[in-house]
Amino acid sequence: MFRTYLSWLGMALACAVVLAFLWPSEAGSEAEREALRNGRKIITYWDRSQGHEYETHNELIREFNASQDRIYVRTLSVGWRIEKLLTAIASGAPPDVCSMEAHTLSQLAPQGCFVALDSWMATQPNMKPDDFFDHLYEMVNHEGRVWGIPTLTDSYCLLWNKAAFRKAGLDPERPPRTLKELEEFAAKLTVRGPGGTVEQIGFLPWLPWDFTYMWGGYFGGEWFDKERTRVTAASDPNILKSLEWQGSWVRDPNDPDAPAYALDSEVAQAFYNGFSAGGAYFSATNPFYTGKVAMIHEGEWQCTFIPKYAPSLDWGVAPIPQPEGAPPRSYSPSTVLDGIPSGSRNPDEALTFLAWFYAERSENEPSPASDYAFLIHNVPARRVEASQERFSGDPKFKVFVNELMTKPAVYFPASPVGRLFADQTQVAREYVMFGLSEPEAALKNLESKVNAEWDRVRPKTVSAAAP
Amino acid sequence: MGPRAAQDGVGGGAMTRTERRNLRNGLLFASPYIFGFLVFTLYPFAASVYYSFCNFNAIDPPVWTGLDNYKQMLGDATLRTSLFNTLYFTVGSVPLGIVFAILLAVLLNQKLRGISVYRTVFFLPTIVPLVASAVLWLWVLNPESGLLNGILRAMNVDGALAAVGLSLPNWLSDEHWAMPSLILMSFWSVGGAVVIFLAGLADVPQSLYEVADIDGAGPLRKFWNVTLPMITPTILFNLVMGLIGAFQYFTQVYVMTAGTGGPANKTLVYALYLYQMAFKYLNMGYASAMGWMLFVLVLICTLGVLYTSKRWVHYYGD
Repeated sequence: MFRTYLSWLGMALACAVVLAFLWPSEAGSEAEREALRNGRKIITYWDRSQGHEYETHNELIREFNASQDRIYVRTLSVGWRIEKLLTAIASGAPPDVCSMEAHTLSQLAPQGCFVALDSWMATQPNMKPDDFFDHLYEMVNHEGRVWGIPTLTDSYCLLWNKAAFRKAGLDPERPPRTLKELEEFAAKLTVRGPGGTVEQIGFLPWLPWDFTYMWGGYFGGEWFDKERTRVTAASDPNILKSLEWQGSWVRDPNDPDAPAYALDSEVAQAFYNGFSAGGAYFSATNPFYTGKVAMIHEGEWQCTFIPKYAPSLDWGVAPIPQPEGAPPRSYSPSTVLDGIPSGSRNPDEALTFLAWFYAERSENEPSPASDYAFLIHNVPARRVEASQERFSGDPKFKVFVNELMTKPAVYFPASPVGRLFADQTQVAREYVMFGLSEPEAALKNLESKVNAEWDRVRPKTVSAAAP
Repeated sequence: MGPRAAQDGVGGGAMTRTERRNLRNGLLFASPYIFGFLVFTLYPFAASVYYSFCNFNAIDPPVWTGLDNYKQMLGDATLRTSLFNTLYFTVGSVPLGIVFAILLAVLLNQKLRGISVYRTVFFLPTIVPLVASAVLWLWVLNPESGLLNGILRAMNVDGALAAVGLSLPNWLSDEHWAMPSLILMSFWSVGGAVVIFLAGLADVPQSLYEVADIDGAGPLRKFWNVTLPMITPTILFNLVMGLIGAFQYFTQVYVMTAGTGGPANKTLVYALYLYQMAFKYLNMGYASAMGWMLFVLVLICTLGVLYTSKRWVHYYGD
């Protein structure tokens, strides 16, 4: 009998040891344990950034923690996908404060998942609506209230390879200024090898990824109705034109009517693949760096990426050409923002942290938010900060910032179906490109799919705003 | 009932003290599983039936909408595309995978020196985590620098294709080749089925081969008339498991297309579309309805296979 009890005891002990070993500790780091001992309140911050961006962000947050004797911010990198935040909110255990992309906010804010921040923002320096880029402020606005603080954004320009221009007999200092020139230059920059192989291309409207939404806006089209509560793209002639124009880049090589810049579908796909396959984008084998693609639309982060991965590349930055007569536009599709989930257990402490992050440290010392944008080479979401000298020191970076400063942006408006809509614009372009669908049919398909989903979520949006 | 039961003061059919203790201990030991099953399997199962009749976004309380989700499924063209893609994958990968597995099993069933090493080698890919193997295959299928096109180029296949105006496939980014690429990839992890077939082969009675030898049958005839009929129960098992697995195919295509099911929805399989609906577009009700529809489909297919099996599955001794 005694031996039986002894073995039970032994087993229980073994289980206890294993459990003790696996049990998540209350505090993750020594600094956190120290903060706990000193009676500081620990708040959790979920960061959508990863890798070096997360490290940079963390470095700034450490500065906040060092300056505090009351609050300690514990960070966790969760990535940009919505699943983790969704399940945390649905289960009633969200982080105290979190960063996310605008689409995520748009999907969750109408359900009352976030704390409205407008009245608090009105009391803070540099957080008035005018301080932000207009379109970014609109992105965090739902039902007339503000649910997040925009932190970062991107701006897109045309990058061109000067060496390729020289080789093609083009002036390396003169980028294409009109859509016609873009087409002509692209044709001249296409280099065919022996046996019909294509060794270099000039341009493709969906490199390095899909730009269908942007091209619609750049053609002067409008994807939505006036209230932005319905997709009406199929009846907008300019949207239709933009999709037809994208389709014209892929043609049967034997088609005598094919424009000079058009490429065989297989060739186009092979070049598209060159960016996505095996992490090529973030490496020296990026087809723009290796000279396989001579012109491309890209974001401001390339100002750091190119010197890092392709230091010998001779390149320039210019606005992306638009069709003649179309109103000038910049492209800034989304924003990274901070928000406080309504289930946050420490909303006041979260606000203290955000107040510190977005305020200037002193008269001549920029805010940590500006530091963050500068250190990871993004554009800060506030106009006041984007015009700081640090963001115009690099003449190339300045072109990107200038676009946002001087032209209204094409951006994804705040909408609970924004993510579906964005995905479907790409699907529409792919259907056209592969010849599976005519442009108009593809747009009609997009319209019916997105509008049906909008109908499903709409009653919710209205009822959430009622009280 | 003996005197012991009467002594315990319970009526006929009751358990002895030992039996009761054993039952209690047994239940106690099984309790983690029972608890897990009730909370993490049965409850979600039942809840998803309810949600499939609701407009539900995972945050607000579900709103009863009756058959709306099911009606919407009937008119959803993307759903039809995804169903077609899943059937395409199933029809492509399951039968060919079984043929491939049988051939490998027969080869690995030879009495050769070091055969266990070969068996291990063919089983190894099955152990590689799905995500890791998917990333690996992204490299293999890379049209420019990938292993597959590299080999084809070394064999001068590209030259032969160029002569008839074709080029090497872009595999995953080509709208015609994307799904065949995934099917091709599925053969890589055929090792699990091979092991089961090896067990099936070991079960074929030696006496039948001896009889066939006496009748003067050659190796091919013996395979066709003895081996194959005798392993039909194993084929049935692998067929059913393969069908279920193929209908639920998700991980690799999620990793390899970054969750898009592209190009042009050509690899948007049913499970991936379901996942997008649930966790990307927050349409949990629709996703639940899709889940039950998938269940019914798998059930019908499995029952269909089992029904036909009477005609082609042979059990030794029947």
